[in-house]
Amino acid sequence: MLRVAGLTRRFGEQLALDDVTFDVVPGRMTGFVGANGAGKTTTMRIILGVLAASSGEVFWQDKPLTQAVRQDFGYMPEERGLYPKMKIRDQLIFFGRLHGLAAGAAAERVDKLIGRLGLAERATDVLENLSLGNQQRVQIAAALVHQPIALVLDEPFSGLDPLAVDAMVDLLREEVTPEVPVLFSSHQLDLVERLCDDLVVLSRGKVVAAGPVSELAASQTPTYRLVVDGDAGWLRDLPGLRVRDVAGGTALFDVEDDAVAQQILQQAIGRGPVLEFGPERVALSDVFREATR
Amino acid sequence: MNDRTLDRPWMLIAEREITTKLRDKTFIGSTLVMLVVVLAAVIVPALLSGNSEPDKIAVTSDAGAAVVAQADAAAGGSGYEAVRVADRAEAEKRLETDAAAALVPAADGYVLIGKEKVDSGVESGLRAAVAAVGMEQNAAKVGLTPEQLRAGTQVTQELLEPGSLPAGVSDFVNLGMALVFYMTALGFGMMIAQSVVQEKESRVVEILAASVPIRSLLWGKVIGNATLALGQILVIAIGSVIGLTVTDQLDILSVIGPVVGWFVVFFILGFVALAGLWAVAGSLATRQEDLGSTTLPGQMILMIPFFFSVFAGSTAKTVASFVPIASSMSMPGRMLTEDVPLWQPLAAIAILIATTVLIIRLGARLYERTLLQTGRRLGYREAMALEAR
Repeated sequence: MLRVAGLTRRFGEQLALDDVTFDVVPGRMTGFVGANGAGKTTTMRIILGVLAASSGEVFWQDKPLTQAVRQDFGYMPEERGLYPKMKIRDQLIFFGRLHGLAAGAAAERVDKLIGRLGLAERATDVLENLSLGNQQRVQIAAALVHQPIALVLDEPFSGLDPLAVDAMVDLLREEVTPEVPVLFSSHQLDLVERLCDDLVVLSRGKVVAAGPVSELAASQTPTYRLVVDGDAGWLRDLPGLRVRDVAGGTALFDVEDDAVAQQILQQAIGRGPVLEFGPERVALSDVFREATR
Repeated sequence: MNDRTLDRPWMLIAEREITTKLRDKTFIGSTLVMLVVVLAAVIVPALLSGNSEPDKIAVTSDAGAAVVAQADAAAGGSGYEAVRVADRAEAEKRLETDAAAALVPAADGYVLIGKEKVDSGVESGLRAAVAAVGMEQNAAKVGLTPEQLRAGTQVTQELLEPGSLPAGVSDFVNLGMALVFYMTALGFGMMIAQSVVQEKESRVVEILAASVPIRSLLWGKVIGNATLALGQILVIAIGSVIGLTVTDQLDILSVIGPVVGWFVVFFILGFVALAGLWAVAGSLATRQEDLGSTTLPGQMILMIPFFFSVFAGSTAKTVASFVPIASSMSMPGRMLTEDVPLWQPLAAIAILIATTVLIIRLGARLYERTLLQTGRRLGYREAMALEAR
């Protein structure tokens, strides 16, 4: 397990990270979300040792993370980049060896990976001659080439079309074995919701929510949706609920408990035809908005 | 999966640095051009001056042939060759084809006939031979042997402070050695800076920094490029030795030979000290275009001592041969052309080592702090003030 404990980082006067603590559990994808400048990239850079923490520490299997262990991590930085004028096969072998693979083993692994990515015919092309989508594949291959023991991916899906996202998700599912903890940051909340088991929400350098996605969603006060034939404005005068929005016959409201919701339904039936009634599924974006408010 | 470690990451970095350059057509091309230039510098003057064909001198008599033989012997045996012709008219005709001059008897000695002019070397050689042959004959008439005739006329030369090379040659060799260091340190220095900024520009540096310690990156680059630089010098040295062998000038090697070892030591130390600085110049920049300003200090540190060591007087040169970096350019040359006591190069090396350690330490510190600053170009002063990562 990868544990981030009490990370604090200052850039001059500015406090970029403030006591950031969370776990990345093996076999579960952990999504890392937060607004721009919330400190996601800074946290990831500290995990990878590219940046030092002002205080706090990163633990691997309950021991402080060392350079030797970190060398087996896989990392895809937010700012993409490989050697533009190097052949992709040579390049990936170089990265494999940089992570400690022997030359022969690296070559074998790279050939397998290149085949799986459908780049076998381009193996001797230099990177800059590849399409952007293919360059992105090589980039993810560079993070996976040494079969990492943990994966840190900073915005891995940004700039990809939906098909490419699916392809990359499939690749991750194939390549990442159950004992590997995966942390990835993203702005695309729908993607995070689809892929992630756990969620860490960061706001202005602080962790404001962390835990399994299902729990985070359930902890919100339930929101109901009511559609009646006529005007729903009468809801505003009722006790025990908070109206989010009323537009004509459609209303969104939060209730303290489900019993209140049932009373409201009965009232509505008494007033006229009810077209729709039920709890609204809580979107992750609401969790996010709520947490970072 | 966990038992893999990379013991010497700098070796891998150096290896990539070297293989990339060896596949780079520009690098191979420029090395070949340098090789051709050096070969031309070695071979062409020898071909022009050491024209081994003897000058043909047309003669009309045995006496004339004897004079040419005497001139040939005085010139060391490959200077002149007599061509026997019937008379003056035929001799003049030979001047049109292959003869350098014609020597025909006249009332009181000989006439030397040329076409448009007579080469001054040919003229003085034949003049001396005519005089020698004539005087020997005159002496024989009064009963003197050639030895008696020449008794007491020998002049030999002794030098109180002999330089190992003639003055013109020693200036040339001094300049040459300084130039080799200057060109190589500047050329490969710029390559180091470019290689660093390319990694920053392409952002691959963050993956590198996440995989290996940043100092390993620095050392890999420095060692890789130093190896390339020495390799290039070696290729050119072998090329010029072949050139010297072909043109029969190998005796120059026996003069340069003893300082080659010193040159290599001074070269490596001076190169490594500067390499640290070049790497920093690369890490301060964010784009190739920034290199012009960030490499300026490195260029100055090379250029000022270079012109100093080439144009300064001998006292100043002696001082320069102890100043770090400048010593790499002037000490090997001084050792070649002057009689330098052993303590001097040793002291210069000690000073150079101390400076190299200092520069590399400072360089590594700056490099670590600036390498991941991809936002904008930094100044040296700004970089000094940066906090650790």
